[in-house]
Amino acid sequence: MLTKKLPPLQSFLVQVSRRASHVARQQYDVIVVGGGHAGTEAAAAAARVGAQTLLVSQKIHTIGALSCNPSLGGVGKGQLVKEIDALDGVCGRAGDWAGIHFSILNRSKGPAVWGPRAQLDRQRYREFIQSELLSTPRLTVLEGSVEELLVTEPNPEEPGQHRVTGIRLANESHPISASSVILTTGTFLSGSLFMGQTTSPGGRIGDAPSSAGLSHTLRERLGLRTGRLRTGTPPRIVKDSVDLSLAQLHPPDSHSTPFSFLNTHTRCKPEEQLPCYLTYTTPGVERVVKESLHLNCHIQQDTKGPRYCPSIESRVLRFPGRSHRVWLEPEGMTSDLLYPQGLSMTMPPDVQLRLIREIPAMHRAEIHTPGTLPDIYVCLQLTDLTVKFYLNASYFLGRWWFPGYGVQYDFVCPTQLSPALQVKSTQGLFLAGQINGTTGYEEAAAQGLWAGVNAARWALSMPAVALSRTESYIGVLIDDLVSRGVTEPYRMFTSRAEFRTTLRPDNADLRLTLKGFEEVGCVSSFRYQKAVRVRDSLQDALAALQSLALSPSIWRKKMPDIPMSETKNNVPTGMDILQYNDVSFETMASAFPECLSPYMEFSQRLKIEAVYRPHSEQQRKEIERIQREENMSLPQDIDYLSLPVSLSQEVREILDRVRPSTLGAATRLQGITPAAVVHLLNYVRHTGQKERRPHRYRTDQREDEEPRARNTSLPR
Amino acid sequence: MQPSVYHGVWRAAVHTLRTRGTPPCRLLSTAPLADAETIFALSSGHGRCGVAVVRTSGPASATALKHMAGLTRNLPPPRTALLRSITHPQSKEVLDRGLVLWFPAPHSFTGEDCVEFHIHGGPAVITAVLQALGSVAGMRPADAGEFTRRAFQAGKLGLTEVEGLGDLIHAETEAQRRQALRQMSGELGRLYQDWSHRLKRCLAHVEAFIDFSEDELIEDGVLNQVDSSVCDLQAEMERHLKDERRGERLRSGVQVVIAGATNAGKSSLLNTLCQRPAAIVSPIAGTTRDVVETALDIGGFPILLSDTAGLRDSPDLVEREGVRRARERVEQADLTLVVVDCAQLSSAAQQAAAFIRGHLTSVLPTQEQPETVFPTDRFLLVLNKSDLLPEEQKQKLDRELRCVSGLPPVCLISCHTNEGLQDFLTVLHSSVKTLCGDPLSGAPTLTQARHRAHLQQCFAALAQYQRYRDMDMALAAEGVRLALTSLGRITGRVGAEEILDIIFKDFCIGK
Repeated sequence: MLTKKLPPLQSFLVQVSRRASHVARQQYDVIVVGGGHAGTEAAAAAARVGAQTLLVSQKIHTIGALSCNPSLGGVGKGQLVKEIDALDGVCGRAGDWAGIHFSILNRSKGPAVWGPRAQLDRQRYREFIQSELLSTPRLTVLEGSVEELLVTEPNPEEPGQHRVTGIRLANESHPISASSVILTTGTFLSGSLFMGQTTSPGGRIGDAPSSAGLSHTLRERLGLRTGRLRTGTPPRIVKDSVDLSLAQLHPPDSHSTPFSFLNTHTRCKPEEQLPCYLTYTTPGVERVVKESLHLNCHIQQDTKGPRYCPSIESRVLRFPGRSHRVWLEPEGMTSDLLYPQGLSMTMPPDVQLRLIREIPAMHRAEIHTPGTLPDIYVCLQLTDLTVKFYLNASYFLGRWWFPGYGVQYDFVCPTQLSPALQVKSTQGLFLAGQINGTTGYEEAAAQGLWAGVNAARWALSMPAVALSRTESYIGVLIDDLVSRGVTEPYRMFTSRAEFRTTLRPDNADLRLTLKGFEEVGCVSSFRYQKAVRVRDSLQDALAALQSLALSPSIWRKKMPDIPMSETKNNVPTGMDILQYNDVSFETMASAFPECLSPYMEFSQRLKIEAVYRPHSEQQRKEIERIQREENMSLPQDIDYLSLPVSLSQEVREILDRVRPSTLGAATRLQGITPAAVVHLLNYVRHTGQKERRPHRYRTDQREDEEPRARNTSLPR
Repeated sequence: MQPSVYHGVWRAAVHTLRTRGTPPCRLLSTAPLADAETIFALSSGHGRCGVAVVRTSGPASATALKHMAGLTRNLPPPRTALLRSITHPQSKEVLDRGLVLWFPAPHSFTGEDCVEFHIHGGPAVITAVLQALGSVAGMRPADAGEFTRRAFQAGKLGLTEVEGLGDLIHAETEAQRRQALRQMSGELGRLYQDWSHRLKRCLAHVEAFIDFSEDELIEDGVLNQVDSSVCDLQAEMERHLKDERRGERLRSGVQVVIAGATNAGKSSLLNTLCQRPAAIVSPIAGTTRDVVETALDIGGFPILLSDTAGLRDSPDLVEREGVRRARERVEQADLTLVVVDCAQLSSAAQQAAAFIRGHLTSVLPTQEQPETVFPTDRFLLVLNKSDLLPEEQKQKLDRELRCVSGLPPVCLISCHTNEGLQDFLTVLHSSVKTLCGDPLSGAPTLTQARHRAHLQQCFAALAQYQRYRDMDMALAAEGVRLALTSLGRITGRVGAEEILDIIFKDFCIGK
């Protein structure tokens, strides 16, 4: 995968625009709006499943851009990247291609919580994503701004049920039709940019604000509830202006571990990797923040921002008198910029400069100033708002670029989505990424992939598929979103996963690749074959270890260094011995070369399996229970308020508001009593057998579920 | 759906092993236990009874039967009563002498292996047997309605029974909730809450260490703090589990609370019922300020009757506290007698009903404010001072109020003349009888056994933290998670968001 040669960017753009000239009137199965992390994964996944897919982005050359920090993965997030890769997504391989500093976080805390992470070269990442999309069959990329989302009037037989028919681009009279549309518009939904006391519409600096038509359709025509969130990004620092000798050097891992299960090494050679630097804030930083509060309107508003990625303003205000970490991260192999992680801020540019210079290593630092203005501003319509934006932008751009700024944006309350990420009230409309209230590249990519899969399956008349929280972090993410909703930007943590010791980064391929090929259809047969080979080898190796059942005295003779306890087990197996803290598979293989040496390439995975096995066994029962509940789906058209079942008004209102899609999701809702669950189950069981409605989507689903329904059981 | 590929690996590994004919490994021998836990509970009602029935269901039932009935070799013939000495499986101490019955699967109520112990009905015996069962490996106290649910799973219930299941579980969970509330407001409750609070902090700190310490400034001392907290908790739990003294005597019996406005005659009702002047009675409003408790026997069922301060807003500090206590008691009560001075009622039935509704709403605990239906089975309406009404109005009121739907049962009495008292006792008796049919209400022994089992699990899980602390933080954290889950079954569930809240409150997380 890493050996392929990327086509030069220029030729890619030519090819795309050539395509663009004659696509406008076609019909597609799936249209993806937005070319960020969610959009690119969604488009690639939809095409892999077999749908004719169109990706529409405002600017083709920013597809795959890293608009905030130049890094991928981390604790919790790395798990998501591994899972996206296991489902044949793009970002893991892109990370291996673009990474310039690889490290596994939490190395000392146990393999279940290892966090694979990489600093990325922005340009290489973008190039890889763009070339990957270009070489994906059935995928077309089009530059344009979506003016309108086309939906039908609600079906009188099914009140509230709209259906998506396509989109209309700005400056185009003809609509482009599609069975599914995926919106991945990020922070652009009614987005406003904040810096100092100035505000302007937009979702990212340098880009035009998205059309008001889209938010109008979502809110007014489809009646979707929205909320408002905020985020921010730090200024970029000129590397030469920083005195790096005053910062702590943080080298990468000496052996760079790739994200992708397909890769054995990364593109960047281990010795060529770039370091990161660590510095700390000083009391001066706190002083500058406090002095400039009156100039900072973003921080004064009470829109919810992320608690775990706060601006420097909220950090020093909430935890005064401390010094906070600031990481200086490389932006690329040849880039002359540094990204100051932890210094996201929204004050006026001159105050920003004053603030960063309070940090010793940056006492002479300069904020990056670009040479030329981006051309996007000339094509804006000159309404009142955009004029203001234009002036502000030129003010920023004239003196500082790229300064830190804040963004406030609308998100669609994700409890209005199904676990397939489809808007419940609108057939064929899918949402993914920040529009659902999440933050982070990996969270967006994970949703994008799953929305892409389901949008394609919807368009191709295949039943929807869901990932359970018992089998993946992606399942945890989607379940948390659709059944609990968000009150602040949602980020993945390992502590959100109940079955953390089972959902490990090392076994993501066993958990998802096989299912992804056999049930979902988003995994190539090449990757599938590889995963099958891995699974079979692991099974053989585990069987070999189990069959090594020897008496303690023989173990001691073969492996003199291991601390054997006599009493515990009469005949310990190889699995038991491998669980010991200081026994590695390598040492076992050298003691028993005849039966274990064929499996040396899996030595690390086998060691991890051995350690976690007893705990996974304990969790299995709980996992099975949840899966049984999740296999009981609740029809989306139940009228909970008038259901002839004994439920309290409070429970009815919760159910009506959230409309859980499975019994499992219903049991996790706050305020739902065990009794209510039993009544629901009873109702669903009996009506489910009687009614069978002629509906192209539901019929498939029902037939699929009949055998399951029979062996479902009640929650404990 | 396939459980997960990962488990497939294990199944395949086990399969290979079997075919190769190697001796059975641990994996195989523990498999049945992992499939289903065995549950036990007191199945007979609470109250004065000669025989109590304790039931178990699940794979460990046979082990429990063998160990506790001294059946070393064979199990008794199915479905045949056998008189045995019932002993503690570890200490071999004889707990009681009673009948045991063995119902092997699938011919049992739940479709699983079941055992019934018919023992003497005294609380000491019941407690001892329940605690003995809890000490058998793989056994735990049943959750509300769990026997019925297992029966439902096994297809052992008919359609009508299934339809009643939801209501049954509702009743049981409600009874448990009230029972738990009663205990949680005492010394014991404060202790468990404190442990839960400390465990939450431990977990939050461990999770912060896992999720954030690579990028953020999590002080090095965080884990040391957790270590010492876990040690302290372990020591305290161990002491608590060993302590044979009861920290507090748990109030036994159906909890009946008298509540209402001042001067409605609540204390007179108490005195009338217990036939002695247990509470001071005077014409001055606000005479009763504290809760007056007295144990009674109504038709053979034990009840604990509490008289409370009249509900009104008072500037008096002592009275305000009395009203707070009164409201707390109503919340914990199995049955509330709402006393109304019937002289205050309008002679028109509709207006009287409206007045009563308003009155009930003011007495009801806020969380149970009626949605559409009134929880009529938990309230009795006592219209006192009937002697002050003219005869015809009395009859009219009585007749018409009975026709108003949505009101709890109404009794018109006079504590002064004892008029209507007999009818009232009949109504009270039938309510108490219904409540006693529910084995959970007012049975502190069962709650104690349950608490004990959960505390033991919690204690064991903390040992897992200690074991993995220096090897694998994910597994160590798993131990704290398990501990908190076990304790959470006493004090209430703790969700992931709550842990994240503590993390963000205690640490400055910036990545």
